[in-house]
Amino acid sequence: MVMKSTVEDDDAGWGLGIPEKMKNNANWVDITHEFKGACKELNLGELLHDKLFGLFEAMSAIEMMDPKMDAGMIGNQVNRKVLNFEQAIKEGAIKVKDLSLPELIGIIDTCFCCLITWLEGHSLAQTVFTCLYVHNPDLIEEPALKAFALGILKVCDIAREKVNKAAVFEEEDFQAMTYGFKMANNVTDLRVTGMLKDVEDELQRKVKSTRSRQGEQRNPEVELEHQQYLALFNRIKFTRLLLTALITFTKKETSSVGEAQKLVAQAADLLSAIHSSIQHGIQSQNDTTKGDHPIMMGFEPLVNQRLLPPTFPRYAKIIKREDMVAYFGKLIERIKTVCDVINTTNLHGILDFFCEFSEQSPCVLSRSLLQTTFLIDNKKVFGTHLMQDMIKDALRYFVSPPVLSHKCCLFNNHQAKDYIDSFVTHCSRPFCSLIQIHGHNRARQRDKLGHILEEFATLQDEAEKVDAALHSLLMKLEPQRQHLACLGTWILYHNLRIMIQYLLSGFELELYSMHEYYYIYWYLSEFLYAWLMSTLSRADSSQMAEERIMEEQLKGRSSKKTKKKKKVRPLSKEITMSQAYQNMCAGMYKTMVALDMDGKVHKPQFELDSEQVRYEHRFAPFNSVVTPPPVHYIQFKEMSDLKKYNPPPGSADLYLAASKHFQQAKLILENVPSPDPEVNRILKVAKPNIVVMKLLAGGHKKETKVLPEFDFSAHKYFPVVKII
Amino acid sequence: MATMIEENGPSSHEQSEVSSSSQARQKLEGLLNKNMRIRMTDGRTLVGLFLCTDRDCNVILGSAQEFLKSTDTFSQGEPRVLGLAMIPGHHVVSIEVEADSLEDAQGFGANC
Repeated sequence: MVMKSTVEDDDAGWGLGIPEKMKNNANWVDITHEFKGACKELNLGELLHDKLFGLFEAMSAIEMMDPKMDAGMIGNQVNRKVLNFEQAIKEGAIKVKDLSLPELIGIIDTCFCCLITWLEGHSLAQTVFTCLYVHNPDLIEEPALKAFALGILKVCDIAREKVNKAAVFEEEDFQAMTYGFKMANNVTDLRVTGMLKDVEDELQRKVKSTRSRQGEQRNPEVELEHQQYLALFNRIKFTRLLLTALITFTKKETSSVGEAQKLVAQAADLLSAIHSSIQHGIQSQNDTTKGDHPIMMGFEPLVNQRLLPPTFPRYAKIIKREDMVAYFGKLIERIKTVCDVINTTNLHGILDFFCEFSEQSPCVLSRSLLQTTFLIDNKKVFGTHLMQDMIKDALRYFVSPPVLSHKCCLFNNHQAKDYIDSFVTHCSRPFCSLIQIHGHNRARQRDKLGHILEEFATLQDEAEKVDAALHSLLMKLEPQRQHLACLGTWILYHNLRIMIQYLLSGFELELYSMHEYYYIYWYLSEFLYAWLMSTLSRADSSQMAEERIMEEQLKGRSSKKTKKKKKVRPLSKEITMSQAYQNMCAGMYKTMVALDMDGKVHKPQFELDSEQVRYEHRFAPFNSVVTPPPVHYIQFKEMSDLKKYNPPPGSADLYLAASKHFQQAKLILENVPSPDPEVNRILKVAKPNIVVMKLLAGGHKKETKVLPEFDFSAHKYFPVVKII
Repeated sequence: MATMIEENGPSSHEQSEVSSSSQARQKLEGLLNKNMRIRMTDGRTLVGLFLCTDRDCNVILGSAQEFLKSTDTFSQGEPRVLGLAMIPGHHVVSIEVEADSLEDAQGFGANC
């Protein structure tokens, strides 16, 4: 029996062995009366306990009979008998053959709902394994149901393997535990897809035989049967396509990703037919609109109650059938997007792809698939490129360092090669981690970004040393060339990106209070974006210097005049965007300072902390970074002191200045060729803010005591300011 | 921790006068770390080490295991491991201890 073995396995896992002597053979003596009497003698609030046991330990005890903590309670509250699969078959409560079409359709739909609920972070025991059929598909005689049960188990198994391998989940995302259930491991993937295909072919014949023929009087019963066969056919086919797509992802060739993309696209085509045939399946006996577990043949929500750990979120809300199709639709869209990653070849492009994908807060399965597609088992990017080569390409693209140029004498110099190779090797792990971080959920990302700054600080140090060594080598060999701050610039660029993302994500996660906005935006505009832009322009000029040398060498060889083409600088778009972001941040900073002057920012009564404590906490992860050096609170206060201006600006001046910043951002963004959605999102904030700031500068509603509202619905990082 | 035990533990200065409350404390202390079987109002039984109690008879059991009521046919006799569990006093129906553990705890089970 499955259940028995499970209980034993898990006991060992929890490290709470059962003392043998407490079995029933012990001689128990009732002391209820004396015990209660003795307790009454204790003083109020007095605890009687062992020396080794105190309040601290007592805290972690679960409270029995508390519905929130006591998972065992629920089982005692239902009046029906909880049967496992074998018992249910024996009692005739469940059919294993001759199921009607509506029964099959209903069971499959509920299973789909359970699968999705599991993917959304609930335990298998409370979702998929509430379906008794999947406990032991060998006992099912109905071929369609047997194939489906095995198919679902395989889907779960592969999904679980993928998620485990990618390791971008935390307990709030995913429950990987299988509670000792067999995930159809005794049958091969190929066998299961084969079984599903056989059932599918058989159903297709049935669909064809019940199809209406020309000139024939249509019998409504046959028509209904036709519809039901079609509904079942579509569901089985969907299961097969989903399973085959997941299997395809486990293959190592890059071509398999394209294949998987085709398969999920085919599966997506079936969804509307599945949605329109939901009513053909049997419905649950209870009302599931509030997320109660459906009760119907083949499902027993309480069958695994005893397997759950003592304190478990007991209540898994199973999603509704109507929502199931929509979820599958979105899931497939996400998987299709994931497949597109292989068309990006540049490391920076890949990093941007991961950032963009993560911004939609995708599900754990699609996030994991993206990770495993990026770095396949053999530790190669997409299974073909070495991470080191990707990093070298990224360096060439970003700063064109002489050491990586074919035309430079360093390229074939052994010592220089050793330097750069060891540096690139050291880079590969932090960059893999950085990409992995972008696979985590949004809240965890922020935390992990703060930690990875330490690793990048070490890289920064090494980059500067390698730069210096390469420069002195180059000075001896080709005195007209320089190798200054090439690698350093590149690492600094990533450092700054991480720091900026760390701060900005705080807005998205709603971590900051209104009175904190001003120093966050100050740090971004005056400091991080300023550094980022100077880093980018340094990289840009380094590229240009390299190009000039290339041109000169070409000219020297051939007398042909190389046409001076006005090439688009590769980094120009990023420089432009940084300018826009900087202006948005500066605008917000000045807005916040001005609002504060007008008494329109609510400040807490600092009792146990102070603004300095908060400030230092907000920027604490930056302390591990050497370049750029962290700005401490005292420095910040000095640098942002308005008294250094003569005369010090009033709130109206600041509103006007803020308005100008938003205006500037708008100008920059409107000149971006082929604007992407992000450009439009920022414009949606900049435009109203220009107007509001002008109004405020003119003294509009200066006397109102109502606090302004900050609406982040147009953009995650920049709010539209609303004066009510 | 140590201070708390001194505050909450049995006060030693009362040892000379044998009051009923210090007797009760001694009784209960004798039971500490003994196996205890507690039946709850919903019919479940918990078995575990007696670790802590107070005036309201709230009991904390260590390494506790849950047994369903004997009428339940499914998974009967298969315990579920709970670990540290607190049973509120008003849910305690009966308390039992193993006979041999009573040797150290004077005053208990005398009438059995």
